[in-house]
Amino acid sequence: MKTAKISTYAIAFLIILSLNFLLPRMMPGDPLTAICGEEALVEMTPELRTELMHRFALDEPLRKQFFVYLAGIVRGDLGYSYYYNAPVLEVVLEALPWTLLLLGSSLILSTLLSIIMGIESGWRRGRNSDKSLLTATMVMNGFPNFFIGIILLLLFGVYLGFLPLQGAKTPYSGLSGLNLLLDIARHLVLPLTALTLSQIPSSYLLMRNTMITTLKEPFVLTAKAKGLSEASVRYKHAGRNAILPIVTTTGVRVGIIVTGALFIEMIFSYPGVGLLIYNSLFMRDYPILQGAFFIVTVFVIVANFVVDSLYAKIDPRIGIDGVEHAH
Amino acid sequence: MLEIKGLEVNYGKRRILHGINLTLKRGESLSIVGESGGGKTTLGLSIMGLVEGTVRGEILFDGKNLALLPEKELRKIRWNRIAMVFQNVENALNPLYTALEQVSEPIVAHKIGNRDEAKKRAEELLNMVNLREERFYAYPHQLSGGEKQRVLIAMALANDPDLVILDEPTTALDALTKVEIINLIRNVCNKRELTILLLTHDLSAASMLSDRMAVLYAGRILEFGPTPALLSNPRHPYTRGLLRCYPCMTTTKDLQGIRGRMDFFDTGCPFYPRCTQSIGICREETPRLEENDGRFIACHRGGIIPLLEVRNMSKSFDSLKAVDSIDLTLYEGETLALVGETGSGKTTTAKTIIGLFEATEGQIFLEGKRILDHGRDKNFYRKVQMVFQNPMESLSHRLSVQEAVREPLDIQKQGDRAQRESRVRRILEEVELPSTEIFLNKYPHQLSQGEAQRVAIARALILNPKLLIADEPTSSLDASTQAKVVKLLLNLQEKRGISMLFITHNLALARKISDRLAVMLRGNIVEEGPSSEVVSSPLHPYTEDLLKAAPTLNSNVPVMHASVPEVISKKNEGTGTGCHYASRCIKATGVCFNEKPRLRLCSSHKVACLNL
Repeated sequence: MKTAKISTYAIAFLIILSLNFLLPRMMPGDPLTAICGEEALVEMTPELRTELMHRFALDEPLRKQFFVYLAGIVRGDLGYSYYYNAPVLEVVLEALPWTLLLLGSSLILSTLLSIIMGIESGWRRGRNSDKSLLTATMVMNGFPNFFIGIILLLLFGVYLGFLPLQGAKTPYSGLSGLNLLLDIARHLVLPLTALTLSQIPSSYLLMRNTMITTLKEPFVLTAKAKGLSEASVRYKHAGRNAILPIVTTTGVRVGIIVTGALFIEMIFSYPGVGLLIYNSLFMRDYPILQGAFFIVTVFVIVANFVVDSLYAKIDPRIGIDGVEHAH
Repeated sequence: MLEIKGLEVNYGKRRILHGINLTLKRGESLSIVGESGGGKTTLGLSIMGLVEGTVRGEILFDGKNLALLPEKELRKIRWNRIAMVFQNVENALNPLYTALEQVSEPIVAHKIGNRDEAKKRAEELLNMVNLREERFYAYPHQLSGGEKQRVLIAMALANDPDLVILDEPTTALDALTKVEIINLIRNVCNKRELTILLLTHDLSAASMLSDRMAVLYAGRILEFGPTPALLSNPRHPYTRGLLRCYPCMTTTKDLQGIRGRMDFFDTGCPFYPRCTQSIGICREETPRLEENDGRFIACHRGGIIPLLEVRNMSKSFDSLKAVDSIDLTLYEGETLALVGETGSGKTTTAKTIIGLFEATEGQIFLEGKRILDHGRDKNFYRKVQMVFQNPMESLSHRLSVQEAVREPLDIQKQGDRAQRESRVRRILEEVELPSTEIFLNKYPHQLSQGEAQRVAIARALILNPKLLIADEPTSSLDASTQAKVVKLLLNLQEKRGISMLFITHNLALARKISDRLAVMLRGNIVEEGPSSEVVSSPLHPYTEDLLKAAPTLNSNVPVMHASVPEVISKKNEGTGTGCHYASRCIKATGVCFNEKPRLRLCSSHKVACLNL
C-alpha cells in the first residue's frame, strides 16, 4: 500500500522504541534498578550485578546499549521479571488476550451503538427523542469511567448479585467448551458495559453532529426525491456518509480506550494488561511496566494502521495512495 | 398534466413563493427563469413534495393534489411519475456509490425490477446519455462535470417518469459540453414525450429547451409567454433587464445590470425598487398577472411603456423634405440609435422632437400624451433634455459650470439656492466630474472637450429627465474620452432608466450603446430593428454599405455597393418618387426609380426596399 503512510508508522514505531530505551536509563538512581526492577535488588549479588551490567551493556556507551536493546527486541526479549520470575514477554502475553477481548468488544460495541444512536438522533434533530438522548449522554459524559464501573459493580454485582464481582472467569471451576465461554461472557458483561458507556458520549456526539451536517447535503435531497424509503435515506445515504469521521477517529479512540481499560480492569480485577501495569507499579516491577507499555503502544499503532487501511475501503475518495483525490 | 394554483411557500415568516399559477400540458416544456434566489428551486421542490417550508395552494398532478398527499403516496409518485435532474453541485450524487449503483437504485427501490434487471436498465440509460462504459463503475469524484450531469439525467429517467424537473442542468458546464447536454435532453424529450419543467438562469439553455417561459422574481411570476417571443421582445422591465445582463453572441449592446438587489415584499410589485419606471401604485399594490396580446405580464404599467412615439412626422424646409413622415417608438430605459449619413435628417428629427423646429405634419406623444407644437411647456423639458454635438458651442461661454448646470433648476424654480447647489454637486459627481469650488467656477473655455461634454450631460440630467436626446454627443471627442462618456451614459441608463435617442453616424458605436437601430436615408427610415439583428443581417443595401464603411482594423478598404454620391440622378432628388438609394444601389432595378418602398416587417426587422 502507501509508502508514505507506512513510513509514518515506521517513524512512530522507532520513536516508541527509543523512548522505551531511554526512559529507564534517564530515571534517577541506578539504571540497573530501573531495568530489572526492585525485586531484583533482593537477590542482587556482585556477580549477578556484573552479569546484568554486561547483559544490558550498561558499561558500554549509549549507542552500543541501544543496539543490544534492539537485538533483544528482535529476539522477543523484553527483559526478565524477577517478581514473576518469568520473561516479561511471557507475562504480558498472558494478560494481553483479556485486554484485547475487553478492548475489542468495547470498541466495536461502543462504535456501533454510537453510530446508530447518532444517526437516529441526528435524523430526529430537535424532537423529544433526540433531546432526551442528548441529555442522557451529556449526563453520562460527566461521570468518569471508573465511577460508572463502581456504580455498575455495586448495583449488579453486590446488591442484585446477578453478575460476578471480579475476574475474567471462575477460578478452578474446571469448566470447558460452551460453559467456559458463557462463564467468560458473564464476567465480561460488567467491565464491558462500564467501558462502553464511557466511550459512547464522545462518538455519539460526533456522529449526531456529522449526521446533521450530512442531512443538509444535496445527495440526501436526491435520495428523498428518488422516492426511497426513509430507512434507506437515513442509513444508506446519509448514515453511510456520516460514519466517515467516526471511522477516522477510531484510531485516536483506541489510545483513549486503552487508558479507560486500565481503570476498568483495576476496578473489576480483570486480569488484563491494565491490571498487570497497576500491580507492577506497586511492585516497582519496571521490566513489566516497560514491556507492557511497549506492547500497548505497538498495539495502538497497529490498530491505527488497520483503521487507516479500512478507511480507504469505505470511502472511495481516499485512493489506494491514501491521498484524497482532487476534482 | 400539472396544474399549480395559488401556490405559496413559506420558510418561517419568509414567503418564498407568492400565488404561483402554472399549467403544464403533457409533452410541453416550460422554463422558469430568473435570478438566483428568486424561488425557482423551491418551486421545483414543492412539486416533488420536498420543500422544507409550509406549502399552501394546490399542486394538481393528474388531478391529485400533491400538496395534500401523504408522504407514503408521494413516495410512489416521486421518480415513477415526477423525477428531477438536480443542479450539478458538489455532492448532488452520493460520493460513496458508483454511477451505476445510483442510477439503478430507484428501479430496485420502487420494485420495478430486481437487481439484475435494474443493472441492465441502468446500463442502457447510461449508454443512452453517452457515458463511456468504463465510467459506469466510477465514483462521482472520478467523473467530470459533464459526466456527472449525464449520470444525473440518466438517473432521472430510470423509472420512466412523465414529468422531469431540470434544475440548472447546464450551469456548471463548459460551452461544448453544454451543447451536448442540451442536445441529449432534446433527443430524450422527443423520444419519450417527456414533459419538462426547466429551472434555470441560463437564458440560452431555456431558449433551446422550452416552448414557453415564465420569469420568476422574488417568488412571483412577472412575465409568461412563448419562449421566442419573450426573448426577442421582452415586455416586462425585469425580463429586459435579464436579457441585458446576459452575455450572448446575439446582442451587441454592452452588458448592463439591473440596479439594486432582490428583496422579498408582501405587498406591492416585488420589482418596484429596481424598476426604473415604477410609480406610486407599484409600491402599494401587487400587480396581477394579466394576459395582454398573447403574453401574461404582471405590471401596473402594462410592461415597458413606450415613452416617446413619433407618428408620421415630417419636416420640410421650403421644398426640401428633411424628414419625410417617419414613425418612431422609444421605450422606457431603452436606447434607440438613429444612424445615417450626413444630411439624412437625423438632427432635424431630433430638433423637431425637442421643439427647436416645428413639425410640418405628424404627431408626437410623450408617455402617451400628445405634444402640441406650442404645448412644450416646462413640464415637457423636465422630462426631455438634449445634449448637442459640440459642447463648447452648446454651453454658454458666459456661464460658469455652476451656473450652467444650475440653470435648468432656476428655470423650473426647483428648490432654494442651497438645494440647487447641492444638486449641482451631486450631478457633477454622478457624471464623474469634480465638485470642488474651483471647478464649479470654471468657464467653458477652461474645460477640456470631455469635461465640457460631461458638464453638458450634467446640465441635461439635473432635472432627472426620462428622455435624453443626444445628437452626436461624442463625435467631437477623442476615442478614450468618448469611451468614458458612453460608459457613463450606459450606467446612467441602468441607474435611472433614461431612454436615449442616440444620434450618430458611427455604426460601430451605435451597436454598443443601442438596443434598437433606425437607419435614416434622406429623411426616411429605411431599416429598423434590434441592433444586433440589423448589424448582423442588414437587409437594406444602404445599411450594408454603412456597415462596410463602419470602422474596422482591417487594412482592406471596403468595396461599396453604391457608386459615388456625385452621380445621384437629378430626377430622384427631392421629388420623393422612387427609392432614394436607387441611383447609388447596385441592386437597383427599374422599379426602384419609380416606386417608393414602404417600411415593412421582413424577418426580424423592418426594412424599406423593393428588392426583398
